[in-house]
Amino acid sequence: MNCDELRDHYDLYALDIAEEPERSEIRSHLHRSCEVCMAGIKRSLETVTLIGASAPWAEPSRQLRRRVLASVGLEERAGIPWWAAALAMAALVVVSVYLGVSSKQYEETAGRLRTEIRAQTAQIASLTEAFAILSGPNTTEASFGGAQPMPPQGKVFLNPARGVLLIAHNLPRTPVNKIYEMWIIPKGAKPVPAGLFQSQDGRAMHVQPGSVDVARTAAVAVTVEDQAGADQPTTQPVIVAAVPAAPR
Amino acid sequence: MLPLILAIYAGPEEHALIARLQRRDPQALAELYDTYGRAAFALVLRVVRDRAIAEDLVQETFLRVWNRIHLINSEKGAIGPWLLAIARNRAIDYLRSSAGRERNAVELNESDHAPLYREMEAEILISDQARRVKEAMDRLAPNYRTVMELAYFEGLSQSEMSAKMGQPLGTIKTWVRTALQSLRDDLGVAVTS
Repeated sequence: MNCDELRDHYDLYALDIAEEPERSEIRSHLHRSCEVCMAGIKRSLETVTLIGASAPWAEPSRQLRRRVLASVGLEERAGIPWWAAALAMAALVVVSVYLGVSSKQYEETAGRLRTEIRAQTAQIASLTEAFAILSGPNTTEASFGGAQPMPPQGKVFLNPARGVLLIAHNLPRTPVNKIYEMWIIPKGAKPVPAGLFQSQDGRAMHVQPGSVDVARTAAVAVTVEDQAGADQPTTQPVIVAAVPAAPR
Repeated sequence: MLPLILAIYAGPEEHALIARLQRRDPQALAELYDTYGRAAFALVLRVVRDRAIAEDLVQETFLRVWNRIHLINSEKGAIGPWLLAIARNRAIDYLRSSAGRERNAVELNESDHAPLYREMEAEILISDQARRVKEAMDRLAPNYRTVMELAYFEGLSQSEMSAKMGQPLGTIKTWVRTALQSLRDDLGVAVTS
C-alpha cells in the first residue's frame, strides 16, 4: 500500500488500534524510514500523547522513588530526617577525630561505603525480582548449553507477569568495552532487547522485569554488544535457549 | 492534569539528561523520575485504577527506559513523551492480560517507535495549546470523547469498542479519526499534510 492509502490510518496506528493489513503496512513503511509515514505517525503520536493530559492528578507513594532508584543501584538520600543526618555527621566527626583519620581518608572510606551500599541495593532489588520469577506459579523453564562441555550453560526462567531471569555459568570474558545483551525472540518476529549485563568469574544472573508473552516467545538469546547495547543483535549469540510451550 | 502538562513542557536541558542516561549515570534516572514520575503514575493509575499495580508498572517503565535509553536520539529525542508512551503501553498491556485479552500487542512497538519521539516538545510549545487539553477533551461530543477514552485509557480495539458501544466498525473508525482531528484543530497541532 502507498502512503496515500495509509494516511487515514495514522491516528488509529498511533492509538494502537489500527487493524490489518494497514497496521503491518505502516510498520513496514516505518521500518524502511518512509519520510511521509514517519512524519504522519509522529504528528499523530503528538496528539495521542496529549490525551494523557486528561488523566486526573495523582501522587505516588514516596517509596516508589526509592524503588525506581534502587532498581539501578542508587540509594535514596532524601528520606533521611535532618536531625538524623546531623547526628550521624557529628558522630562521624567525633569518631574521625578520635581515630585520627584525616578528612581525605574519611572521604575515601565514605565513598567506598556508598559504592558498596549502591551495589548491594542493586543486588537486593535484582534478587527480589529473581525470586518473584522463580516462585511464580506460571514460570516456564528453559535450559541451554547442556550438551556442550565448556560453552555457557544455564537456565532461563520466564514468568508472564514478572519477566525473564537468566542464570549462566562458563561465560567467556567479554572484550574491553563490550557487554552482554539479552534478547527475547518472539515467534516470527525480530528479537527484542532485554537488558545489558556483565559476568563475574564466568557467572551471571540477569533479570528483565515486566510482563512477557511466554506462549509467543520462541527463544531467549544473549549476544556480545557495545557498552551502549544494540537495537538488534550484531554478533552471533553466545546463548540460545529455546522456550518450550508455556504451561496451561 | 498538571503533572502531565509539566512533563510535556520539559525544558531544553532534557537532551543533556538523555546523554547522561546513555552514559549510565544513575543520578540522571533520579532526575528523570523527579520530572516524569508523577505524570507517569497519574497516567498509569487512570488506566489500571489500582495504586499498588500502578506503582509496579511505573517502576517497570523507568527500568525499561533505563535499559532502552540507547534507542532515543540524544540530540533531538523527546524522552518525556516516549516515557509516557511506554508507561501507557505497560498499563494497557497489564489491562489486556488481566482481562485475558491479547497481550504484548503494544510491547514490540516501543523499540520501533523510539526514533519518532523527537523534537516533540518544541512543536507542542509552538502550538501553545497543551494546557487546554482537558478542556478540549471535555468539548468533544460525548461519543467522540468516549471512543478516545476507550481507546487510550482502556486499550480497547476497534472491534471491542464497536461491541461495547453497539455501533458498526466503520462508525467507530470515523469517530476515532474525527475526535483526534477535533483535538488537533482545537489544540492547534498542525494537520498532517
